[in-house]
Amino acid sequence: MALTALDIYKLLPKTNCKDCGFPTCLAFAMQMAAGKATVDLCPHASEEAKETLGAAAAPPLPKVTIGTGGSEVVLGDETVLFRHEKTFYHPTAFAVSVADDLSPAAFADRLRAIRSLSFERVGQRISVDLVALRCVSGDPAGYARAAASALTATGLPLVLLAPAAPLATAAEAVGGSRPLLAPPHSDLEAAAKIAAERKLPLRVRARGIEGLSAALRSARAAGAKELVADPAAESLADAVADAIHIRRLAILARNRDLAYPAAFDLGDPFPDPFGAAALLIPRYGSLLVLDTADPAEILPLLTLRQNVFTDPQRPIQVEPGVYPIGNVTASSPVLITTNFSLTYFTVRGDVEASRVPAYLLIADVDGMSVLTAWAAGKFTGESIAKMLSGCGIEEKVGHRTLILPGMVARLSGRIEELSSWRVLVGPQESSALPPYLRRLPPAAFDPANA
Amino acid sequence: MTVALPEQRFPGRVLPVTLPAAPGGIPVTVGGQNALPYAPEGDRPNPPAVGMEVRSGAEELPPSLEAAIGSLSGDPVALARRCISGWGARFLFLSLDGCHPDSGGKSVADGAALVREILGAVPAPVIVGGCGDEDVDARLFPAVAEAAPRPVFLSYAEEKNYRLMAGAALAYGHGLVSWSPIDINMAKQINLLLADLGFPPERVVMDPLTGGLGYGLEYTCSIVERIRLAGLSGDAMLARPVLCHLGDAWKAREASDASEGSWGDVDRRGRRWEEATGLACLAAGADLLVCRHPGSVARLSGAAWR
Repeated sequence: MALTALDIYKLLPKTNCKDCGFPTCLAFAMQMAAGKATVDLCPHASEEAKETLGAAAAPPLPKVTIGTGGSEVVLGDETVLFRHEKTFYHPTAFAVSVADDLSPAAFADRLRAIRSLSFERVGQRISVDLVALRCVSGDPAGYARAAASALTATGLPLVLLAPAAPLATAAEAVGGSRPLLAPPHSDLEAAAKIAAERKLPLRVRARGIEGLSAALRSARAAGAKELVADPAAESLADAVADAIHIRRLAILARNRDLAYPAAFDLGDPFPDPFGAAALLIPRYGSLLVLDTADPAEILPLLTLRQNVFTDPQRPIQVEPGVYPIGNVTASSPVLITTNFSLTYFTVRGDVEASRVPAYLLIADVDGMSVLTAWAAGKFTGESIAKMLSGCGIEEKVGHRTLILPGMVARLSGRIEELSSWRVLVGPQESSALPPYLRRLPPAAFDPANA
Repeated sequence: MTVALPEQRFPGRVLPVTLPAAPGGIPVTVGGQNALPYAPEGDRPNPPAVGMEVRSGAEELPPSLEAAIGSLSGDPVALARRCISGWGARFLFLSLDGCHPDSGGKSVADGAALVREILGAVPAPVIVGGCGDEDVDARLFPAVAEAAPRPVFLSYAEEKNYRLMAGAALAYGHGLVSWSPIDINMAKQINLLLADLGFPPERVVMDPLTGGLGYGLEYTCSIVERIRLAGLSGDAMLARPVLCHLGDAWKAREASDASEGSWGDVDRRGRRWEEATGLACLAAGADLLVCRHPGSVARLSGAAWR
């Protein structure tokens, strides 16, 4: 549980010595409660205070990193159960599996397929994050070679799903790339020793919360530090229930023994991997291993992840600019709206539904909706006039008629004053656009100088 | 050693609501739970129910839907029968979109007649949706309410039309879907307005507006979670079953565009798009899901919380 400023204050020396840089102990306590200061700023704090306050400041769910450099994947480090309470920070990582016993050609094809699971959506790149190398051969030397070539071919960090002997050779071969060691339960202790020795992250897999509790303890006893917990769920319902347990143990109970990012191997024979993956994205799955490399399955999951892990306080923005919709011509209508993604999607959808080809201008208002942007002074006659002359639309159409959202009809005068454009006030609601666009007189969009 | 598992217990309970069926049909009851979806604690007597949408208007279907229901489009009665007896839908959402001036402009009397026909053809519960044109719907719903030979739910009542909708529903014993545009305050407000008119709360389900996957779905998920948390925590006006209509999933380019080769097979992709939208709604707490693809019924029913 988070401590209040008063709880913290009681643990401080209460001398107001200012050595921490704050005017009083209470002020310092308030800063700590807000997460803006830590107890080590106070040179006079007791050991008890340091311990209590240090533990309270540590993230309830520890951070685990797999991989290095630009392709590094961060798991965990979450602070809330629901995204509206603050945000979810570290998106569910996706690993797609490849077996180590494929023919060289099939192995290379599979890696290419995994690498191509990368898509551009609303200005962001969404991709599969890791390659999960399944040891089927049982051959330590062959497994290590496969790990090295998977790393070279994809550049993605690896999840090494293998018994202890192949794990040891693979860790030798690709340990520098910080793979996640993922042994079967029977090889946990041997693998934990490798993880401890090479300072690598370790996936601990054991059935259920009780099983995990014991297995995590033995992994820690063997010296492994960065752990990921896999409750070895066999059904969708178990997987979601276990994920909820693990996250609640971390956030609500601050249970250090079980507070680890949760991982799930949804490969064969797991029933309904797609259903489980879609539920585990919003419900606390930190790492999911999938057997499918079908973009028709992966793109929807990556899109769902992009949605769920969007910071509710910082909505996705659309790139400002000129968006042609349909087969536009020089006499197509021109509409303007703002770069809040929902606004854009709604207006775009309604323009498409009208089947009238049109240009949609997206104004840069820091991702606000039309009314909010107007109220904040970001969607004004001045800014719109500036956009009209600077965005290139004047070279694309012959006319100078702008359709303005009905909500901001009052900007019409100023726009006409400051630009060579004439304003048509559009509907108040985007949903009224289809009939509106269809009833526009074509003459309104004749070339301006005709 | 036994691990003490933390629970989230709540003082409130979602009001149970029943979508009535004809004799021989199975009514759908949702609500009644005092716990979050998929949570291990509490009780949830009524798992979510998955229904299918039947539209009265003509439209160009995305490839996945064309393959699955294309042969029945244009024959809403046959489609309705198949949804219930062939694909396992537990209720129907009949959209009278064909009455919209832009998609056929069928008369109000035609719309009411179709409602009568469908209700005669299937015994399952039915929710009737309007065409989206304010003026037409204002005439359509009173006619539908009068024509329906058994109780249905009318979709939807919002701040602009709730008196008319509540009047039509009250006069003939129907239920209402209360609608709000992804806004928890407006969701509460419309339920308050209906309560002020004396509309029975056990005949109201809430539709907080469902964005499609990739196009605002996260807003819906958070609103549904907040509605459920507020309702379970004691806000009676929000302790109501939530309906998520997945229709917007099919408006996504990714669900219907066959031209993008790197996105994979368009048929499977479209189906997964609707399924992922529905699964996220289930995780957030939806009680009623309306889908369009027959495959979604099995997938979503199978993955629903119990």
